[in-house]
Order: sequence, then C-alpha cells, then structure tokens
Amino acid sequence: MSVGVRGLSKRFGGVIAVDDLDVEFVPGRINGLIGPNGSGKTTMFNIVTGMIPADSGEVTLDGRRITRWSPNRIARAGIGRTFQVVRAFNRMTVLENLLVAERRAGLGELLRSAFRSSEIDRAMGWLRRVGLDHLADADAADVSYGQQKLLELAAVLMADPQVLMLDEPAGGVNPVMIERISTLVRDANAEGRTVIVVEHNMDLVMSLCDHVVVLDRGRRIAEGDAASVQADERVLEAYLGV
Amino acid sequence: MPSASERPRWQAVARARRWNYAGIVALVAVLCAAPVMVTASYYRYAGVLLVMYMVLATSWNLVGGFTGYVSLGHVAFFGFGAYCTGILADETQGSVILALAATFGITTVGAALIGVVALRVRGASFVIVTIALVYMGSLLAQGMRSVTGGSSGLDIAPLFTVSGRASRHAAYIVTFAVLLGIVMALWNFLDGTKFGMGLKAVREDEDRARSLGVDTTAFKVAAFALSAAFVSLAGGLYATWTGFIDPIFVFSVQISAQIVLMTLLGGMRSLWGPVLGAAVIVPSSEFFLVNLPRMHLVTMGVLLGAVVLLMPDGIIPSLRAANSRRRPPAASIREDGGSVAAGDPDSAGEPALIANGATP
Amino acid sequence: MTRSLFVQAIVFGVLTGGVYALMASGLSLYFGVMRIVQIAHPAFLFLGAYLTYSLHNALGWDPLLTLPITVPAFFLIGVAVQRLLLARLRDENRAMMSVLLTFSIAVVVEGTLSAIYTGSYRSINLDYASKSFELFGARVPYDRLIGLAVAGLTLLALFSILKYTRYGRALRATMQHRDAARLVGVDTERVTAVGFGIGLATAAVGGAVLSIITTFFPSGHWEWIAKLMAIIVVGGLGSVGGAALAALVLGVTEAVVQVWLSPVWAGMVFYLFLFLTLIFRPQGFFGGRLAQRF
Repeated sequence: MSVGVRGLSKRFGGVIAVDDLDVEFVPGRINGLIGPNGSGKTTMFNIVTGMIPADSGEVTLDGRRITRWSPNRIARAGIGRTFQVVRAFNRMTVLENLLVAERRAGLGELLRSAFRSSEIDRAMGWLRRVGLDHLADADAADVSYGQQKLLELAAVLMADPQVLMLDEPAGGVNPVMIERISTLVRDANAEGRTVIVVEHNMDLVMSLCDHVVVLDRGRRIAEGDAASVQADERVLEAYLGV
Repeated sequence: MPSASERPRWQAVARARRWNYAGIVALVAVLCAAPVMVTASYYRYAGVLLVMYMVLATSWNLVGGFTGYVSLGHVAFFGFGAYCTGILADETQGSVILALAATFGITTVGAALIGVVALRVRGASFVIVTIALVYMGSLLAQGMRSVTGGSSGLDIAPLFTVSGRASRHAAYIVTFAVLLGIVMALWNFLDGTKFGMGLKAVREDEDRARSLGVDTTAFKVAAFALSAAFVSLAGGLYATWTGFIDPIFVFSVQISAQIVLMTLLGGMRSLWGPVLGAAVIVPSSEFFLVNLPRMHLVTMGVLLGAVVLLMPDGIIPSLRAANSRRRPPAASIREDGGSVAAGDPDSAGEPALIANGATP
Repeated sequence: MTRSLFVQAIVFGVLTGGVYALMASGLSLYFGVMRIVQIAHPAFLFLGAYLTYSLHNALGWDPLLTLPITVPAFFLIGVAVQRLLLARLRDENRAMMSVLLTFSIAVVVEGTLSAIYTGSYRSINLDYASKSFELFGARVPYDRLIGLAVAGLTLLALFSILKYTRYGRALRATMQHRDAARLVGVDTERVTAVGFGIGLATAAVGGAVLSIITTFFPSGHWEWIAKLMAIIVVGGLGSVGGAALAALVLGVTEAVVQVWLSPVWAGMVFYLFLFLTLIFRPQGFFGGRLAQRF
C-alpha cells in the first residue's frame, strides 16, 4: 500500500510545523523519516493518521484521498501507528490491550464476548512473537517501558495493518531491545507491509531503512537510500546548522 | 512459572462474571422479599428510594465506569423521563405502561442526538455541558406551562392501583428491584463484550483506541443513550410513585451529585460498586435529611471531596488491589528467569543491565 | 417590541455582560495555571455576595466599601484551597477529579450558605440602586452602571498585573509552559497558588457587585457556572479578550430575548450558544492557543 502527502501544510499559531510538504513513501519498503527536532515529522504522522486536521493539502492512501477521515476509519483502512511516548491501556491487562485491536465489527460482532478462543489464540500468538506471552495477565501499567513498547507494537500488528507507522520505536530503550524491535519490524515488512519509521537513532535508520526522507522545518530537503542521504550536505547542514 | 499452573486471569474474570448473574438474581430476590419483613411505611418509602438510586447509579455507571466520562447532568434525563411519562400518560388516556415504554424509546433517540454533540468534548468540558443540560431541562419544564404545568408541577396517574401507602411502596420496591436486575445484568453482559472492551479503551486512552480502529464516537454515544434511557425510565417510575412531578426537584443537580458520589464511593469500575455506594449513601442521606437537614448539603460535599482526594478508585477496587497484593504476582518483571526468556526488561539502556546475562 | 425597549435591553445587556466578563476572566485564570475548570468559582461569587450582605447589614457599610475586607480574605482562601486541596490531586485522571473536587467545594459552599442564611432570597437595597439616568431614551440604572465600572476597573487591574508586574510575567510564563518557567527559576508552585488567590479575589469583587444588582439565593451558582462555561466555550479558551467579547454578546442577546420573548428563553440563550458552538466550532470563535479540548 502506498502512502503520500501532497502540498500538506499545518501551522500552530505562529509556528509553521509542516510547510507545503510533498512526500511519497515507497510501498512495500521500510521508509525512514528523519530530520532535526521540530522538522514536522510527528505532526505529519498525526495528520496522516487523522489525529489533527491539516490546514491545506492532501493525504493519499493507495490513491484514495483520506485527508478528512477520522482516525478510526483510517486505521480500518489499513494504517497502524505507534506513538512517540509509549501509550498503553494501563488498567487493562497485556492480553486485553491486544484484544481491543480487532478488525471486524458489525453490531452482532460487538455484542459477542471479547474473550473467544479464536481472538485469544491470535493475541497470544502475537504475544509469543514479541516475547510477552508470560506477561499476558499482568496489568499494562506494571510492565517495564521496553515491554510496553513491545506491547504497543504487538497491538498495532494485531490489527493487521498494511501500513505501519512507527514514531521513534527505539526511543528510550536499550540496544538489546532495539535489536528485538528491528527484527520485528523487518519481519513485518517481509510480510508485505509498508513501514514508515521516524527515528533519531541514525545507526538504526541506516541498518533498517531502504529509503529515507529528510525533513527540515516542515519541508522535504533530501530523499534517497540511506547512504546517499547520510552524505548529503543539505542534511548535515540541517542537523548541525543554526 | 506461576501463570502456567494458575488459571489465566481472563478466565477467572469470565467465571466471576457468570457468578455475578447469580448474585444479581439473589439481590433482586432479597429486595423483593424485603417488604415482607419491613412493614413500616416510612422504611418502605426509604426502601423505594434506595433501590431507585441503585438503578440510577448503575445506569450512570454504564457511561462513567466504562468510558470514564463523568456526567453530572444525568438528572436531566431523570426529569425528562418523569415529564415525558406524565405527559404521555395524559395523552394516551391513562396507559402508564405505554407511556413508560415510549419514554424509554424517546430518551434513547434524544440522548443519542444530545450525546453526539456533548461527547465532542472531554473531561471537564463534558461535565459542564451535562450541567447545562440540567438547566435547559429545568427551564423548559418551567417555561412550557401549557404542556408541563410550569412551576406548579404536573400530576400523574399511578402505575398500580393498590390501596394504602405501604402497599404502594412495596409494589414500587419490587418494580425498581426488577429494573435494577435488568440494568445490572446489562452492565455485566456488556463488560465482557467487544463493545465493553472498546468502551474501556476509551476510558484508558481515547486517542489510542481510535488509532486502533475503535469507532469511539459511536461507542460513546451508544453507551450514553442506553444509560440515559434507563435513567429516564426510573424517572418515569418515580413520577408515577409520587403522583406528582415537581420541576425543581426532578431537575436538581444535587441528585446528580449523589449518584456520582455513591458510584465513586463504591467503585466506578465494578458491577457492585454503585449498589454498594447506594447502600451507604442513601440511608445516610435520609438520616441527615430527617435529623440534620441544614447540614445535608455540606456533609455530601465534604464526603464527595474526601472520596475524590482519598479514595478515588472507590471501595471495591481498593479492596481488590489490597487482595491481589497478597497473592504472588502473575509475572515478576525483574526476576532473572523472566528476563532471560523475555529479553531485557529495563528501559534507558545501561550497559550494566545487559552484562547481567540477560541475553536475547 | 418598541425601539426604546430594545435600546433598554441592549444597555442592560452590556451592563450585565460586563459582570459576566469579569467572572469569566477569573475562570480563565484558573484554567491557565492549573489546566482545571474551577466549578466552584460562581459559588464563591455568591459567598462574596452573602458576606457583603452581612457586612452591610451588620455595619451599615456600602457594599463596595466591604471590598477591602472581602478581597484579601478571598485571596487567602484561594491560596489555601489550591495548596491544601487541589495540589493534592494525583496526576492521573487529574482533569476529571479536579472537576469533581471543585464540584464538591461548590456544594460545601452552597451548603454552608443555605445552612446559615436559609434558602430565602436576599438582596441589598441601596439609595442609589433604584435611581437611574437617561441615555438614548433608555434608562440606565445606577447600580448596574456601578457594577460595570467596578467590573471594568477590576479587569483593568487584572490585566495590568499580568502585563506589567514581575509576578504577572511569572504567571504568564507558568501558564504558557510550566517546565520552561521552572527552568528559568520561577517558583511555579507559589505562582499557581497566588494565581488561584487572585482568581478568587475577583469573585469577591463580583460578589459585591452581584449583591447590588440582583437578588441571590444559595443554589443560584449552578446557573452561573453553566453560563460562564458557555461564555468560555463560545469565546474560546485561553483568550481573555475572546471571553469578554463573548460575555458581552451573550449578555446582550440574553437581555434582548428576555424582553422580546420571555425569561425562560432568555436563560436558554446561553445553552443554545453553547451547543451550537460545540457543533460547529468546538474550539470557540475567538479562540487562543489553549483552545484545545480540555
């Protein structure tokens, strides 16, 4: 599935977060989205997933315009995302956190038990894949930050998205955890999902991403494969410059 | 590891939920039988109030407990239900039952429409909007004299033609008890469904729930409408019980406050919380009204403030938490055994932690 | 409706709108420093009215002369409430719990008032209160005019404090970005407490004005909070100017509708505006930067 934005703009009071931005992510690949702080990455994420409205411009998903869609409609259309600061349903168990993310929902479906064996099996499957199955009954608030990150990822994957948007998946976790997350991301991509990763960890971006887009002050300043972007002068200037 | 030998938690919870149905039946049976043992008219009167508040609190908890949205304006639906039943009973020449049924339906639709607007805001704004609802209701009731009788109130036909106050009270205890059983059963049922799960996700993190595909607006509105409908039904029943609708009383924010207080006290996130809270608050409130009427409001305010500051989760969840602290944990986060299997548990990479042998 | 009645209504609406504006700005202050909606604000308004009433009856003072007593007293109460009660709220669920807590404070205040004064309506009758003068064919009652003047002066004082004093700068910094303010050395705890105190002090002023211009009773504050919230939602949160403008617009509309239709529909004006704003423009019409969902 392909995701892109055209002419996207968004300002918050006096601050221009996104400025006439055009980006087309490569379908089926792991795309990296990098840039210095305040370059508009998370804002773009929020607009694409419907969390905040754009001032102008369009968001497209496989050619369809999804610009004014609600977040849940966009999620059902196939986009899943994680958040910059990990979010979990704290007073629900790890297992229940996954059970929330299910696709089908007619009225009859909604009134059936949330704990049918088919759902539980799927959820436990994902928990096993991320290594959290032994914590299935723990309250989400009680597990460690790194485990919450895995939980968030598992929940998003449970919803079977075609596009996976990860906002700083490696933020605030140690190298061992980063490695595990990378593996999961690669596996998810291998299953055919388009991945878009916002990251500050350059090593991770270089090793993980096939295609990298660089933002600065709300605009796209460079694009290409990891190595060429890293060597690009404009990129270096953006990160180091005033 | 403990979890392998213990029953998984969700199964234990599901079992408890099934037992709840038995508990509900038992409660309803006890309440229906109570008038046999309690014959004094005043105590029966208090009994009707008690069961009615149990209904109101449990209905309120369909929204408050599941979605976390605190409505201080549910009394607006109580008042609306009273007037709607009263007016319709007049129009349909006395079929009170028909009026009650129609009230339920009308409120469901009306509350859904109101909910679509009111639920666009969250937290404190939502609370204020619900308070505004109460005032709108009060104004309309007093303003539309030709329909509602204005400030002088409205007379209404009774549901049961039983003679004698005490017998009438008994009849209403049974009626409200049956209604309570229905609402509690509904709450218990929804608690285990995907619908309930989605609502609880709204309570925990609404934006994240949306990003996972949950249609939070539809869910919230449905819960709100259902909750309002039952409250309106209780209002209608109340009106037929007293035989008279007083616009000041049926639209008073104090009733809303009491409902919130008892649910908060008992525990918002459990089936039995509202019932427990009502059992504590209603008798106390009656006591104050009779013996120390001037201190009634102050006491209620202080109680609510105390609960918010000291015991915001309520009695039942606090008991649950104390209980689970005594049992061994479902999984230990920092045990070496656990961390070897799961990979490194801790965040913010410190090399020392990796060196502890926690290899992936 | 005759023209003179219409003009009369407008004049009345402007005068009342001024008082609404003063009260709404107090609410904005609480929200600014603590991100909570202080439901008990109007309850304290009524407390102020009752205190003024008692002082007037006991000592024969003009209501406005009681301000030197009530304003400092309320300031201290505000600081106490913030430090002792509100500061104790835990962060999780703070928004909801703060509403319930301030709600309970409002109930306690109302309960105290009705216990002491009983539920009967009170008012203060002054010589100049019943006099009025002519303006464009409309009667302008002196009491309302004084009310507007006092409200206006207080708003001006508030504005000056915020803009020109060191404390005001610290307060604005805390409102805009708490952590950043801390980093530059602002004692945000103290600033918040003082902010609360100032907010409640404006309620003292409002209470004195209220006692002059209308009758009051203990449970009257609920209607005020609904109206004030409507003003803030319509005006947009964080915009004191927007709240003032909305207060005037709604005050005038209310007065006109009262003359044109009935008091019942006049009361509904606020709620109608509230719901319409929520439907079409939830962030308010003159909204400031804080105008997000709160």
